[in-house]
Amino acid sequence: MIKITNLEKVYRTDEVETVALNKLTLEIKEGEFVAVMGPSGCGKSTLLNIVGLLDDPDSGSFMFNGIEVAKFNERKRADLRKRNIGFVFQSFNLIDELTVFENVELPLIYTGVKGNERKKRVEEVLDKMQIMHRRNHYPQQLSGGQQQRVAVARAVVNKPKLILADEPTGNLDSHNGNEVMQLLTELNEQGTTVVMVTHSEHDARYSHRIIRMLDGQTVLENIMV
Amino acid sequence: MFRNYLKTAFRNLGKNKLYSGINIIGLTTALAACLLIGVFIIHELSYDKFNKNADRIVRVTMEYKNAETVNTTATTGTKVGPQFKRTFPGVEEFARTFLSHNTIKIDEKIFEEPRILYADPAFFKIFSFHLLQGDASTALDAPDKIVLTRSMAKKYFGDENGALNKTITSGGKDLKVSAICDDVPQNSQVKFDFVTQFLNLGNNVKGETWWTANWITYLLVRDSKSIRPLQSQIADYMKTPDVKAEARITGNNYLTYHLEPLTKVHLHSKLAGFEPNGSIIYIYMFAAIALLILVIACANYTNLATAQSTGRSGEIGVRKVMGASKRQVFFQFIGESALITFLAAALALVLGVLLIPSFNSITGKEFTTKSLVQPLPIISLMLFAAFVSFFAGIYPAMVLSGTRVIGILKKGFSFTGGSSRLRKSLIIVQFSISVFLITYTAIILQQMKYMQTKDLGYDKSHVVVLPIGGKMLKDFKSLKEAFVRIRGVEGVTAAYETPEYVEWGDGITVNDERGKHEISLNAMPVDLDFLSTLKMQLAAGRDFQESDFATLDTTNNYANYHLPYIINESLAKKIGWTAQEAIGREIENRATGPVIGVVKDFNFSSLHEPIGPLVMFLGRDFSRTFMIRINGNDMQSTLGRLEMMWKQRVPDRPFSYHFLDEDYDKLYKAEQRTSVLFSVAAGLAILLACLGLFGLAAFTTIQRTKEIGIRRVLGANLSDITLLIAKNFLQLVSIAILIAIPLAWWAGDKWLQDFAFRIPVHISVFIVTAIVTVLIALFTVGFHTIKAAIANPVKSLRSE
Repeated sequence: MIKITNLEKVYRTDEVETVALNKLTLEIKEGEFVAVMGPSGCGKSTLLNIVGLLDDPDSGSFMFNGIEVAKFNERKRADLRKRNIGFVFQSFNLIDELTVFENVELPLIYTGVKGNERKKRVEEVLDKMQIMHRRNHYPQQLSGGQQQRVAVARAVVNKPKLILADEPTGNLDSHNGNEVMQLLTELNEQGTTVVMVTHSEHDARYSHRIIRMLDGQTVLENIMV
Repeated sequence: MFRNYLKTAFRNLGKNKLYSGINIIGLTTALAACLLIGVFIIHELSYDKFNKNADRIVRVTMEYKNAETVNTTATTGTKVGPQFKRTFPGVEEFARTFLSHNTIKIDEKIFEEPRILYADPAFFKIFSFHLLQGDASTALDAPDKIVLTRSMAKKYFGDENGALNKTITSGGKDLKVSAICDDVPQNSQVKFDFVTQFLNLGNNVKGETWWTANWITYLLVRDSKSIRPLQSQIADYMKTPDVKAEARITGNNYLTYHLEPLTKVHLHSKLAGFEPNGSIIYIYMFAAIALLILVIACANYTNLATAQSTGRSGEIGVRKVMGASKRQVFFQFIGESALITFLAAALALVLGVLLIPSFNSITGKEFTTKSLVQPLPIISLMLFAAFVSFFAGIYPAMVLSGTRVIGILKKGFSFTGGSSRLRKSLIIVQFSISVFLITYTAIILQQMKYMQTKDLGYDKSHVVVLPIGGKMLKDFKSLKEAFVRIRGVEGVTAAYETPEYVEWGDGITVNDERGKHEISLNAMPVDLDFLSTLKMQLAAGRDFQESDFATLDTTNNYANYHLPYIINESLAKKIGWTAQEAIGREIENRATGPVIGVVKDFNFSSLHEPIGPLVMFLGRDFSRTFMIRINGNDMQSTLGRLEMMWKQRVPDRPFSYHFLDEDYDKLYKAEQRTSVLFSVAAGLAILLACLGLFGLAAFTTIQRTKEIGIRRVLGANLSDITLLIAKNFLQLVSIAILIAIPLAWWAGDKWLQDFAFRIPVHISVFIVTAIVTVLIALFTVGFHTIKAAIANPVKSLRSE
C-alpha cells in the first residue's frame, strides 16, 4: 500500500537546518498494523505527516496504492487524503463548537455524502464506538477517553483504507488508552491498515511490526508474533 | 455544509461574546450612520426631480455690472418672464414668484402665515404640484383665487374636502379657494402653504421693469436641449441698444441673465432662492464621513478576526485534514463576516429608525420611518453590508484558508509578521481618522463660538422683531410711542430689514475732488432711534432726529427735498474720507443730502463676507419690521404687555414675534449643522476606534498572560506591566496623531478661509486633541492591562 524510497525532508530556518527524514526507505502492506517508535525529533511525526499527505517530501519517492504522490499538489493531496486516510491525534483535535455528531459528520460533508446517508453512517459508527448517547454533547463535556473515541469514530466514518494515529493514547489514562488500542486493533482486523506513532512499548505491542527510527532513518524493525 | 458553517459561526459568536459584541456594535453603528447619511444624500440628489418637466424648467438669475462692481442675484425684475416669452420662441411659459408672510383670516381664526407664494398663472403648468381638487389651468387665472395645501385646508376648514370655493381673507383681501394641492414635497426648492396670483402683490408688480429685482422667475422651455442656445440668445438680446437704453445701461456697465437648470439649483447654485441652498460639497463631506466610519468598523472586524484566528487554528487544521479545500475554508470565513455584517445591517435599520428625530435635527429635514424603509435605502444598505462582509472578511479568510495544515494542529497558529503589521496599520488608520475628525471639529466649534460671541458692532440680544403690515404705517408714530411707554421696553425703532443680513443693494453718487463717481453698496432705510436701539456706535456726527423729517420736503415737486445720510466707516474709507471729514459732505442716493453721521462698522451680512460700504437713510415709509429692545430681566412679562398692547392696537394681525439673535443664528444654520455633524462623526469615530482597541488590548493581554505572570514573579510592579502593554498601542496612536494633525490643520484652515471673520488656528487645539486622544487610548487599554497586572501571577502561570 505504501512504498517509500530514499525519502528526504529538511526543515530550514534562517540559521539552522534540521534533517527530519534522511533517505528513508519503508514499505507498508495493506492490512498491516505498524507502530513507529523512536526518541523525540527522530522524524516520526514528519513521516506520519508525509504518509498522511499533509506535507510533501523534498526528494525521494512515495507510492500510495501504486501511484506516485510525492509531487502531488495541495489540492490533489487533499482529494486523495479525504477519500483514503483517517487521522487520530494525541490531542483529539475535535472542533469545540461542534457536537459529537457534527464532529463525526465532518469528513462526510467534505466528501459530498448526502444528508440522509450521512446521518445513517454517523449513527452507525457512534453506535459501534458506544458513544451514541453522547451524540448531542460538545467535546468539552466529554472525558478524554470519550473524546478519543469520537476522534476514532470521525477517522473511520469515511471507511478509509488507512488510519494514521499520532500517539493516540498520549493524553489518556491506561484504562482509556487500552480501550482506544482495542478499537484500533478491531479496525485493523476488519481490514484497515493502521500506522501508529507512539512512545509506548505497551501500545506498540498491539501492532504487527515496530519500526524504530533515529535521526530520520529506520534503524530497526521488530516483527511481533 | 452551509448548515455546518452557520452553526459554527453562531456558536463562535456566542463563545467570543466580547469580540462579537464589539464587531456587531461597531458595524451596526457604522451601517446605521451610512444608512441615515445615504437617505440624506438620496434626498438631496432628488431635489426638484419629482417635477415632470424638471429638465425643461430653468431659474433665471441676474448679473449686472454697476460702478465697477459685478453683482449676481437669484431675483429678477418683473419684465424678465413676460418679455422672454414674447421674444424667444423657445420659452413656453414663465412664472414670477415671491414668497411672503401675510395674515390669513377665516371667521374668527386669524394666523400670520409665513409661506404664501405669489405666482403667475402658469405656475401649476410649469411645476408638478399635484392638485387634489381644482384645475391646474384655472387655479390661478384670476386675482381673487387662492390655492391651499392639504394641511392648510385641514387647519382652516377641518377637512380638505370642505375648503374648495370657500372664501378666505389674506391681508385684507377676500380670495376664493380655487384648488387644493397636495402638501409640497420636502425635496422641492419652492415650498408654500398657499399660492395666489403674483399680481396680488400690489401696484409695484403691475408694471414691467428690468430692475427692482425682488422676484424669482422660472421659465418652462420647449425642449431641454434648447437651454444652451437660449442662454446665448438672451446674452445677445441684452446687449442690443434698445434693451440697454430701456434698462438705462451706460458705459461698460451691463445687465444679463443666466439660466440655471432647476435640478442644479439646490446643490450647485451659489445663489439662494426661497431657502438656503444645499451644497454638493456637504454631500461629499457626508459621504466621506460615512465612508470613514465604515472603514473604522471594517478595520475593527479585520483586527479582531485576525486576533481571534489563533483560537480557530485547531478548527481550521481539523477541517483541512478532514478534506476541506482552501476555497471551502475561505468561504466559511467570508460567510462568517457576512453573517455578522448582515446581522448588524438588520440592527442598523432598527437603530436608524430610532435615530431619525436626532438626525432630523442635524440635517433640518423631516425624514420619517417611511423614508428609511424604502427599496432604495434598503438595497443600498444590503450592498453596503455585502461590501463590508467582503472587505472586512477577506484578509482573515485569505490567510486562514491559505495556511498550510502541517504544524498548526500541534503548534497552533498565530498571525505574525504581515498580519501584525496589518493590525498595527489599521489601528493607525483608525486613530488617524478619529484624530482628524476631532481636530477638525474642534476648529469648527471654535469658529462657531467666535461667531456667537463676536462683537458685531451692535447688540443683537433682547431685541424683539415684529412685522409691520400696510395699514400699520399710517398709524406708525402713535404705535411706536405706545411701544415706548410699555414697562420693560428700552428702545423702539423700525427699518426695512433687520441688520444681521442687509439685502437691499443700491448705489450712491459722490461728487468730490476726484469728480463725480458712483459706488455700489448696500442701503438701509431706517427710522429714528435705529442706532440707539441696536446700540451701534457713532464714529462721528449724530443719529437721525425728528427735525430731519423737515428736510424731506415733497412740496414744489421735490425741489427742496434733501435726504440726510448716515454712512458706515467702510464707505467713508472707500470714498477717501476720515469719519470726521465725512460729516457735512454731500452724497446722492434717492436725493442729494448731507452725511450727518458715520456709524462704526457693524456686520450687516454673514461673517463669510467682509464689511462693505453701507448707507442709511431716513425711510419710515419703507419700514417692514419693528425692532424693540426689551430689558433682559423679566422678559416674559414685558412680552405679555407688548402682546396686550398689540392686540388692542393691531387687532387684524396676530402677535407673532421673534428675536433678532434667532435671525442671526439662522444665517449660520449650515455651519451649525456641519459642527453638529462633525461632533457626532468625531465622537463615533473615536468610540469605534476605542472599541476596537479595547478588544485588541483584551486579546493581547490574554496572549501575554504567561509573560505578565513571569514578569510579576520576577518583580515587575503594576505600572511596569501597564506600560509594557500600553506602550505598543500608544506608539501607534502617536503615529496616528502625527499623521492626522497636519491634515486637520490644512482642512480646518481651508474651511476657515471661507470666513472673512475667523479665528486663527492655534497650536493649542492640536496639543489638546493629542493629549485627549492619548488619554482616551490609555484609558481604553488600561482596563485590561491593569486587570492582568493585578491578577495572581501563580494562577496565570498555572493556567498556561
